[in-house]
Amino acid sequence: MYGQGIARGLLVTMKHIARSYMDDIRYAGRKYSGEGNFGARQGMQATGSYTVQYPDEKIAVPERFRFIPFLIVEDHDHPERPGHDWCTSCGICAKVCPPQCIWIVRGKNPQTGRPVPEPDAFYIDIDICMNCGYCSEFCPFDAIKMDHDYELASYDRTSAHIFDKQKLSKEMSHWKRIAPTTALEEMQARGGWEHKDILREKAKAERAAARARKSASKQSS
Amino acid sequence: MAQTDLRALQDTEFPVPEELQANIAITSLDKIYNWSRRSSMWPLLFGLACCAIEMIGTAASRFDFSRFGFEVMRGSPRQSDLMIVSGTVTKKMIVPIVRLYNQMPEPKYVLAMGACASGGGPFKEGYNVVSGVDKYLPVDVYVPGCPPTPQALLYGMITLQKKIDGQSLANLDDVPWYGVGPSEPTPVPVLGPDIIDPRQMELIREQAQQAALEAPFGARELPAWVNPTEVAQEATAVVETQEGAEDGVDPAKAARIRKREEAMARLAARRAAKGGQ
Repeated sequence: MYGQGIARGLLVTMKHIARSYMDDIRYAGRKYSGEGNFGARQGMQATGSYTVQYPDEKIAVPERFRFIPFLIVEDHDHPERPGHDWCTSCGICAKVCPPQCIWIVRGKNPQTGRPVPEPDAFYIDIDICMNCGYCSEFCPFDAIKMDHDYELASYDRTSAHIFDKQKLSKEMSHWKRIAPTTALEEMQARGGWEHKDILREKAKAERAAARARKSASKQSS
Repeated sequence: MAQTDLRALQDTEFPVPEELQANIAITSLDKIYNWSRRSSMWPLLFGLACCAIEMIGTAASRFDFSRFGFEVMRGSPRQSDLMIVSGTVTKKMIVPIVRLYNQMPEPKYVLAMGACASGGGPFKEGYNVVSGVDKYLPVDVYVPGCPPTPQALLYGMITLQKKIDGQSLANLDDVPWYGVGPSEPTPVPVLGPDIIDPRQMELIREQAQQAALEAPFGARELPAWVNPTEVAQEATAVVETQEGAEDGVDPAKAARIRKREEAMARLAARRAAKGGQ
């Protein structure tokens, strides 16, 4: 029979329309309230298709999302060196950057004139940056990471879109917040600098294992 | 409730008598004018590279920029207010882009989307790529990203709307299109080693000087202030003289044409003076 294929194709469309209304009904009045309702509606569980009401509701970006790089500095409440750069101004990021948008000035001790392991200036032209993430891949000190902030449009290129060190620097806690899994993996791989965090995670895992053992022994006895 | 709303509008330099405060609201014409203008910014339908895919995604129903009044992409530059330069601008493509820009009716805006259109991106030193469309066109908003996500582009568009909201009919310095006289077209480049037309050198130099002075690109002279009563007298005089010569000519139109001719004459005089130097 002619037209079967069209009917079958349109059935898919109709299914999507019906499902978006079903989603509307399921989350009626509590789209934003409730634990993770909004995230669930945006995520894999959502079945319908609908418009993202952008400035009011934003799609949660995945953890591996990359936009403009930022420089990691120590947290302001770090006991030993608050606000200290992780960057040592080795210049590897500037060398690997495919569009060549990074400019580093190596730091110098004003008295002796010898280089110190921190940058005096660090510029990224975010209108040239192609968000490839090579800088963060190649950085041997995990000092440059890709940020998730994409709301960067402005009226002037030269004054607003050439980020200096102050604009680029963000605390380590920011990286832990936007990419918790990756940050933890990196910490474990580094092993040296965040003993506290690693110990806390280890203790947590051990406690969970102990609980599991206990409950298992209870069930068996 | 309506009363409190009105009072918010009465916060101006013009005092409103207390007994009239419930009935009178003072606001500027700019607000309603800019609101209507920014709520119907129709973009020009053209895409250059991978950013265009994101632009199409922004226009489609998932993100839907019609919600902000960008409404529908027009295929004709004569029906569009906004040019979204979405992608790599090659030296061959800059020629039609400038032509399209010149054909757009004022007020017109340009949004450079993505790294290539803003600053050349990875091709900034390429042999066949223009490193940033702002070398040739006045760009209003730069959206970084490679490519920007639909939400980043929407943010850029909202930024453009905020810019329009800040413009004023009274301050002609930041909006070049409310002056008198014809607007000067952006010089159209020609495909060649230098991408400029040497025959237009004088115009290009003039615009570069204006840009160096941070004057608006393609700005016109400001309309001279005239006494309204004198204009009224003149208008009646014009009507009287024209009634004898030609019947059925609209006096307002005649005055407008006269004003335009005067502006053209002043422009020609200014150019002549510059040429003399």
